[in-house]
Formats: sequence, C-alpha cells, structure tokens
Amino acid sequence: MSGIVVIGTGPAGHRLVTRLRRHDGTAAVRVIGAERRPAYNRVLLTDVLAGRLRPGQLELPAHDGGVRVHQGVTALGIDRRGRLVHTDDGRVHGYDRLVLATGARPVLPVLRGLLRPDGGMAEGAAAVRTLADAARLPGEGPAVVLGGGVLGVETALALRRSGRDVVLVHRNRRLMNRQLDDRSADLLAGQVRSEGVVVECGRRVRAFAPGRVLLDDGRTVPCAALLVCAGVRPVTGLARTAGLAVRRGVVVDGLLRTSDPRIHAIGDCAEYDGTVAGRVTAAWDQADTLAALLTGGTGHYRGTPPATRLRGPRPELAVIGRPDASGAETVLLSDSERYARLVLDAGGRLLGGILFGLPEAAAAAGQHYAHGLPLPPARLAFLLGTRPVRTAPARPADDLVVCHCNIVTRGQLAAAWRSGSTSAAQLVAATRATTGCGGCLAEITEFSRELAGDGAA
Amino acid sequence: MIRTLVVVGFGMAAHRLLDRLCAEDSGHSWRVVVLSEEPRPAYNRIALSSYLAGCEAGALSLPSGAILGSPRVDVQLGRAAVRLDRARRTVTADDGTAYRYDALVLATGARASVPPVPGHDLPGCFTYRSLADAEAIRAAAAFSPGGGAVVVGGGLLGLEAADGLRRLGLGPHVVERAPHLMPAQLDADGARLVERLVGAAGLRAYCGRPLLAVEPYRRGLLRVRLADATVLDAALVVFSSGVRPRDELAAAAGLATAERGGCLVDAACRTEDPRIFAIGDCAAVEGRSYGLVTPGYRMADAVAGQLLGRPEVFTYSGPVTRLKLPGVDVAGFGDTHALTPGALQISYRKRQAGHHIYAKIVLDKAAETLLGGILVGGAAARSPLPALLGQKLPSPVEELLP
Repeated sequence: MSGIVVIGTGPAGHRLVTRLRRHDGTAAVRVIGAERRPAYNRVLLTDVLAGRLRPGQLELPAHDGGVRVHQGVTALGIDRRGRLVHTDDGRVHGYDRLVLATGARPVLPVLRGLLRPDGGMAEGAAAVRTLADAARLPGEGPAVVLGGGVLGVETALALRRSGRDVVLVHRNRRLMNRQLDDRSADLLAGQVRSEGVVVECGRRVRAFAPGRVLLDDGRTVPCAALLVCAGVRPVTGLARTAGLAVRRGVVVDGLLRTSDPRIHAIGDCAEYDGTVAGRVTAAWDQADTLAALLTGGTGHYRGTPPATRLRGPRPELAVIGRPDASGAETVLLSDSERYARLVLDAGGRLLGGILFGLPEAAAAAGQHYAHGLPLPPARLAFLLGTRPVRTAPARPADDLVVCHCNIVTRGQLAAAWRSGSTSAAQLVAATRATTGCGGCLAEITEFSRELAGDGAA
Repeated sequence: MIRTLVVVGFGMAAHRLLDRLCAEDSGHSWRVVVLSEEPRPAYNRIALSSYLAGCEAGALSLPSGAILGSPRVDVQLGRAAVRLDRARRTVTADDGTAYRYDALVLATGARASVPPVPGHDLPGCFTYRSLADAEAIRAAAAFSPGGGAVVVGGGLLGLEAADGLRRLGLGPHVVERAPHLMPAQLDADGARLVERLVGAAGLRAYCGRPLLAVEPYRRGLLRVRLADATVLDAALVVFSSGVRPRDELAAAAGLATAERGGCLVDAACRTEDPRIFAIGDCAAVEGRSYGLVTPGYRMADAVAGQLLGRPEVFTYSGPVTRLKLPGVDVAGFGDTHALTPGALQISYRKRQAGHHIYAKIVLDKAAETLLGGILVGGAAARSPLPALLGQKLPSPVEELLP
C-alpha cells in the first residue's frame, strides 16, 4: 500500500494530516510517531509544568478513521529508490510522497552532572519540550530554569506563578537577547523579578547535583528541578542518512520539497531560504501549503513573518519581524514601564518592532506587519492608542517665545511691527530679539516676511 | 535719596542689568559705578566664533549707547575689582580707588577651566572665553594657514570654536572626554548624528578619549596625546572644556560659595549679605550655576526689578540650545535628558531625501505637554517645537518635527 506517509506527530505533522483529510477525504495517509501518546499542543507545555493543565488537556483532536497512526514507532531509514520507510517495529511502509515532520530536539549544554552515564538526563533535570519531559520533573520544590530565551522566560514565570521558588539563569547579560535590545530586556528582567523570579543574567550553571546547582560565580542554588531551555536543534538524522540535502535543517524549496521531489519536510526540521523558523506559526503555514499541494491544489511557501509574543497576562511583550534591521526610520518610545522600538522602511512599513507594555499597539503593529501596510504617520498616537489631537491655531499663539535669550514673544514682535518697526532690522532694534545668542535671526526674518505679507493682504 | 550701585563686571549679564536700569529707573534713584576688567564695553560673547571666522569685533558689540551716555552711570573700563569690604561697604579697584556701595552686584562671569595636563600652558595653547582670547587665536592662526588645530572640549562652544578655526583655514580636531559630543545637551543617538554632520563639514571628533598631554613638537608645532595613544599634530590648541565661576571676590569677603563654585545666592539672586547680589555665570542660584546667557539675563531682570522696588525672583524653565554650524542644525531645549519623573520620550531617527534627522521629544506622563527635546539635522532650527516648551502640543508631534 502506498500514498502519503508522514513522519512526526508534532504540530506540523498533525496540522498537515488534518488539512489533507479535509481537502481530500479519500487521501491515503499513514502517520509514524515516535512519541507514545497521541499528538498534543506543545505550546501549552508550560501550563502543565505549572500545574494549570493536565497532560490530557493538551491532546489535539484525533484524526478520523481513514488515517492510520503508528504511535510509539520510530522510523529507522528511508529507501528512496524503493520509496520505503523502515520502522523499528520491523515494518516497511511504501510511499508515493513522504513528509518529514521530525521536529527538533533540545540542545543540552555541557554541564557536569546533567547526564547519566547511559546518556539520559539525570534525575531532577529535564528539557522543556515534550510531555515526557514534564512528567520527569518533581512537581514541587525550588526550580532552576537554564536559558533566558522565550521558552525559558515563559517557563520561569509559569513555575513562579504556581508558587515555586524559581531562579532563571541566562548566559547573556540580556534576557531574550536574540529578540530584544537593552531597554526592553531591562524592562522584561524587571517584570520577571517583580513576580519573584530570581534572574541571574550573564551567568552559567557549572554543575548539577540532586538538590542543587553550582553557578559559575561559585554560588550554590537549591534546585529540586532543573529545566533546560537552551534552544533546539532540527532532527535531521533520517534525512541525512538518506542522502537528502541538509544544512541546519532539511533544505526545502517553495513547494516544500527536499532534494528528492517525492520527499517533503515541514516544521522545526525544515530549512527554508536559509533559516529554520522554529516557530509553530511557520509550521502551520508550511503544513497548510503542503496539504494543498499534495491534494492537487496550488500554493507556494514564501516564509512566515517572524513574530513572538510572550504568553501569559504579563508582561505584554511582542517582537515583530527584525527589530535589529536598519531601516529608513527608527522610532523609540519609552517611559518608566513601557517601551517600543519600530524600524520602518522608507514607505513607513514595519520591518521590525519590539513592544513592551503596549498590548493594543502590539496587536495593531502585528496586523500592519503581516499585511505589509504602512503605519499611520502619527506614530506616537499609534503607539499609545490615542487619537491624534489637532488643536492647532492656524499660526502659533502670541505668547510663543521667539527669542529665548531676551524672552521676546510673537505678540511683542507683532506689536512692535504695528508701532512702525516694519523690517527685521527695526524689529531687532525695538525688541532686542536676536541680540543674545542670535539663534533666532532666521525666525525673526521669516516672521517679518509673514507680517509684511499680512499687511499686503 | 540717590543711592550708589556698584556693578563688578561688564559682561552680558551686567549689560542686561544696566540696560534695564537705564530704561526703567525713571525716578533716578540709583547712581551706578561699573568696574569692567575687560578694556571694552560688553559684547556678545556667544558670537565669538563668528569673530574667529573673520567678522569685525564691532559686530559683536551690544548696544551700549544709553549706558555709556548716561550721566548717572560711571563705566570704568580696564578696571578690575580687587577687594570687597563688607563692613565698610566698599569695593576697591586695582588702581586703589575704593567705591562705597548701597547695593553691589557681582557679575564677574566665569573663566575657562583648563585641564591640568602637562603642557597645557605651552605657547600655542589658548583658552576661548573672551574677545582677547579670540584675537590671540586669530593672530596665531594667521601664522599657520592650513595647519591642524585641536579644540579640547566637544560641547557647544568647542564645536563653534572648531568651526571658527575651520573657517580661518585650519583643520580642526575636537577632543571630548565624554563618550559623545555635546554631552550636556544631547543623548548618544543625537550626538552620533551631530558627529557625522560636523564630520562631513570637516571637523573630526575624538570622543571618549581624555587628553593626556600637550607636547612641543617641531618648530612652532604642538603634539597632542590622547588616552588611547592617538597623537594629533596642531599649530594651536584651544581649550573649551568648561568654565569655572569667578567667585574669588565674594569668597575672600566671607560670602558662601557653591560646592562647584559660584557665589551662592537665593532665588532673588541675593547673597547672605542683603546688599550684595550675584548674577550671570559667577552666580549659583540656590546652588546651581548655569553658564548660559538666558538664565543670566533672567537673573539680571530679577535684580533690576528688586533695585527698582519690585519683588522679583529668578525663574527659568530650561535652556534652549542652538548650535550654529553650516549644515548642522541642532536645537536642544528643556528637559533634554527626560529626568522629569514619569516623563515619556519618543525619538525618531530618519533618512529622508538624503538628509539624516534625529529628534527626541520629552513629554509628560499623559503625552500631552512638551517638556523638552533634541532636534538634530534637517531644518532643526526652524522647528516650532522649542517655542512650544511647557505647552500642550497643538498637533501630532510628528507634524512638528524638522
């Protein structure tokens, strides 16, 4: 039997299969998944860690009966010539089209005591990637989160909000250093600290032992659970062994084809246009495009605009596009608790942005970004979500100071003009304007022209 | 009854005071003695760079006809005050004459403060404070056309001095110990754009590198060493690295001075001795000295008012600073560093039509009232924003940018 074989039951694989069956109810689909449990929503894993959700509540809807799912089965190899997949239960699955949705695996830092001699992780330590990881961790006692990226920050906050003592250790001096600039990272660290998380930036964990970790400054921190959030690496072994083109991820084109046109790759294992997106929104976009293509439709994947929003009610932090891009215009807004960086092109379209504590603006900016729309010219009003005010009189008020050295107002200049000082030089003599620093000479000249024009009219 | 006012100093602040008194003392209640150390009447010190660049000294003079022509004002040019005797209420001039006062206004100004590095007093080193300084610099520059020059101090005055030197035909370098130019007025982003714009105009800036030493080099040349081992050759070195209030007369008479110098006065510009006032750069109003002409004028106004029986105090909302170099427009006004509690700041860095513009606007918590700002590039000098300081913005701030 052949048809479509999907390896992987993560968000990418699950979305693909769901869409395939929706587009074509007769599509023959088989799914091979290494995890022993049905597909689930990985994004909510931190809620399980925090005890807010039970593992079962993460389960994604089961596929219909027309989909054959092999759970707890690992693919061992691909025979491209024979178009066969060999699995560890001794079976062989023929395919017309094969989809790799093998995802990514956590990066484990080199750290004394983290691994057992057999290569597994020591008791009390786990990555934050799978439900199995979550199940390994003690449900109480002080926790240390290793890695201050998006997942690390979310994990630390979730654990803290469940009442645990949490230390967040990050090697860079800025939290989420790949997304944030100095100011936003400072605000984030402040917010995370204000919730009671101890933040240790610019620090590394040197060793782990049951009950404690050793920091690189020599301090020991109590630790019932060590959560490793140090990034992920695409799972590409199967593709590599099969001779497919692999760089960081399995290389795919706009039709999501690997170097073998019968084999596709989507999600965290796929590399498109030089990047492995590593975000669930990209996985969904890729799954949707591929589902259309495999069921006779058209489509072309062109990348998914990067956008990150920290989960949870606080802090309101959104990162859009490439905030470190260089654009024609950069707008920075800040006060004691809010911050925005917007990078715009010459047409006022957003190239990247960071928004902290500005939820409405973050949502609006995300929309403008996704649709490539220029931002309204009143940037401040846009960021604060206020309506641009316009109370301007047709010209500045009479009490506006023109010469700051001598405190000469427009009203005084106009009065002097009416009393007969009808040239710039005479205005200067009459009011002493410009005789201080002289910086207002151009304004006086301009203003005298304006007054002369009024007289003529 | 006619009382005697003695004014020590005849700079811009004293000029303002005398101008007001002459115009407003209709009851002829004051006779005035002015002791002016400089041999010329008050001139526009802020325009020194245009003198450097070649304009006539006369163009700098402040209109003093009414003061010099008044029968009630005795201006003693080239006469320094050397002693103040509060018990006898006299000021003694350097020719030994003692002048008795009913009221005394100290307007002694400030002197350039020169970093005490080795070689700071070599021939070819100049301060930049008075017309005499500028004359000496101009004369020295005439001997070294096309030579290099080093200006120590990247503040407003230093940049203007450097531009004056450039217009004299020298190739000026600006050395600033702070990490960026104009640290008193600008933030790093604004200063970076200023550095770029003045760079395009021919001024090379070396920031974040303190001066180590000035050394004699080949015949008539100096060599300037910076902390990072940079070496600059210069025909002349101009120090524009800050000023120090001249408070010696007051201090010797037992009057209090501020921690960082300056005659300590209250909000009415009065020292602890009720007959003695201090105004301008030599004054520290409630402990703070300004070193800018506008607050100096405000102090003069306050004292003129009091001498004429009006209870006036010094008020000052914040500086408006303008840098006047060709191709470089800079305006800084109000709370440029957003120090007001709750202040919100928004900055714009733009490239438009080949021009670079930087603007930082400081608003109150409600984002309605303008507290300050920095404008660099474009037509910064013509933005209406500085004039709106302290007011509610009448239209979206973006429409008011240069």
